[in-house]
Amino acid sequence: MSAREHEIEERVPSPDELAAMAYVDGEMGAKERAAFEGRLEKESALVREVAAQQRLAVMARAAAPREPIDEEWKRIEGSAVHRMGLPIGWTLLTVGGIGLSVWCAWLIASSSIGILPKLLTAALAAGFLFLFLLAVHARITSRPFDPYDDVKR
Amino acid sequence: MILVTTDSIPGREIERVIGLVRGNSVRGAPAQADFHAWLENLVGGEIPEYTKLLAECREQALDRIIADARARGGDAIVGLKITSSEIANGAAEFLAYGTAVKLRA
Repeated sequence: MSAREHEIEERVPSPDELAAMAYVDGEMGAKERAAFEGRLEKESALVREVAAQQRLAVMARAAAPREPIDEEWKRIEGSAVHRMGLPIGWTLLTVGGIGLSVWCAWLIASSSIGILPKLLTAALAAGFLFLFLLAVHARITSRPFDPYDDVKR
Repeated sequence: MILVTTDSIPGREIERVIGLVRGNSVRGAPAQADFHAWLENLVGGEIPEYTKLLAECREQALDRIIADARARGGDAIVGLKITSSEIANGAAEFLAYGTAVKLRA
């Protein structure tokens, strides 16, 4: 047994971890559950613990048996062509997209159309970007609490 | 929590019917996965991004129906059904519904 395995085996779950497990597994009575949910409203660390236990529960339930093609996907993803091709492809796509957007913005800005359409176009682009960034921020913030990210199939 | 698609659970007796329980989920894939899936769709074969998206959505809908049944004091869900629809392009929606029951101990 390695030191790490020994450490895992020896580790005793904390009372909060045990409570989170019981909560996720539906083993709490109504009164105990209500008290625990009251704590969840105030303790963000406990919310994280519940999310971690829920992630484990979902993984255990949704663990899919390995298929022969899984090995092939792993081999393809590990190949040099794939490892180099993906970043190159995405970089070219991103540079092209940003470049084209900037060029379009410059075309509009330097065109002879009035100032109002220019401002409206700028507001449209800025609004879209702002809302997109808000959506990205919300996703990044909520991701640690989303136990379904690890589900494969 | 026992989940079955049948109307009864062999070997267990239903003490009382609690009622309809349901759980739904709508999830989308990130634009990058959508774009990659679109490319994969051009050449055919499995699209792992969408297999994953549907599986995530299914598990979340199941968790929600289980939570609903638990909150109403159920031990099991009988007649479980899962239905899907497309609410937005590239998003998956699953609705799980069934009847929560209390089993005799």
